[in-house]
Amino acid sequence: MENGPLPPTDWELAHRARAGDDGAFHALVDRHAQALYALAVRLVGNSADAEDVVQETLAGAFRGLRRFRGRSAVKTWLTQILVRQAAQHYRTVRRQRTLRLDQYEQAGATASAQGRSDVRLDVAEAMLSLEPEFRAVIALRELEGMSYEEMAEVLSVPKGTVESRLFRARRQLRELLKEYLP
Amino acid sequence: LNDRIECEQIGRAGAYHDGELVGAARADFERHLAGCADCAAELARARGLARMLGGMGSPALPAGSLARMHRGIDRLAQAGVVHMAEVMAAVAAAVLIVCMAGLARPAPAQRAVGALPDWEAEVVVQQTVDTPAGGPEELWARWMVQDLSRKGGHE
Repeated sequence: MENGPLPPTDWELAHRARAGDDGAFHALVDRHAQALYALAVRLVGNSADAEDVVQETLAGAFRGLRRFRGRSAVKTWLTQILVRQAAQHYRTVRRQRTLRLDQYEQAGATASAQGRSDVRLDVAEAMLSLEPEFRAVIALRELEGMSYEEMAEVLSVPKGTVESRLFRARRQLRELLKEYLP
Repeated sequence: LNDRIECEQIGRAGAYHDGELVGAARADFERHLAGCADCAAELARARGLARMLGGMGSPALPAGSLARMHRGIDRLAQAGVVHMAEVMAAVAAAVLIVCMAGLARPAPAQRAVGALPDWEAEVVVQQTVDTPAGGPEELWARWMVQDLSRKGGHE
């Protein structure tokens, strides 16, 4: 049996995109858009803003391709840009931290029962109540499953800072969600 | 009022839960965990929160969102091409202006004629001078010798 060619790695696609192959960048978009969007929803709290943040992230990555040297993984690089864009979004918009059910449903978190929807809304609300740097560590660890080292790279802080931020962020989040937790 | 001091290692419970403690550090913490109610409770709370957040599901991209992202990149790429064309046009225009300015200035040879020794000026403007029967080379050679003799730089 003949094996087909292996799909190009992220690094290869980024390298081609740097050389002017726009198609390679589109392939990277296909590969990472979903994960970036899911993280963006956690960081900004609604679908429309999350899409804007992802769009800005991709634009930033496209413009910054020449500066990408491949020292970090493409996913880490994109996540780093996304976290910055989300923080910028938070600073500039500072929108009211309320989520309507329809917004969260639009974000793809389909509820099977009203009770479950309430939990989801409260979790989303609690996430938005956290300071951006605490929200980021929770989202990167609990949603993305990143290691402390990857998080340190994404957030440009030492590993020890990641650990202490995560400790405090978990405490705050638990306090906000104590009615659901033992 | 709860003034009980928590275990000083409680911050490690999260790292242990996240799999960030390895080797001896992990073994040490596990030994500590066996006898520390604070850290055991903290670990249980970390696990509960992780379960809850993990159960939230991952928001899916809305319909049409991916296509909008691709169109955004196409617009950026197109804008990049236009910008590059504008830069090239500006460079070409600048080169053209410099060349035209150069052509408009008088030729260096004509401007400098008055300042040159006779023999050099003659070489430069040779076309405008009547040449002797022996040809211009003979005349130039004669003038060179005269000029150098005047300056005393010829032995």
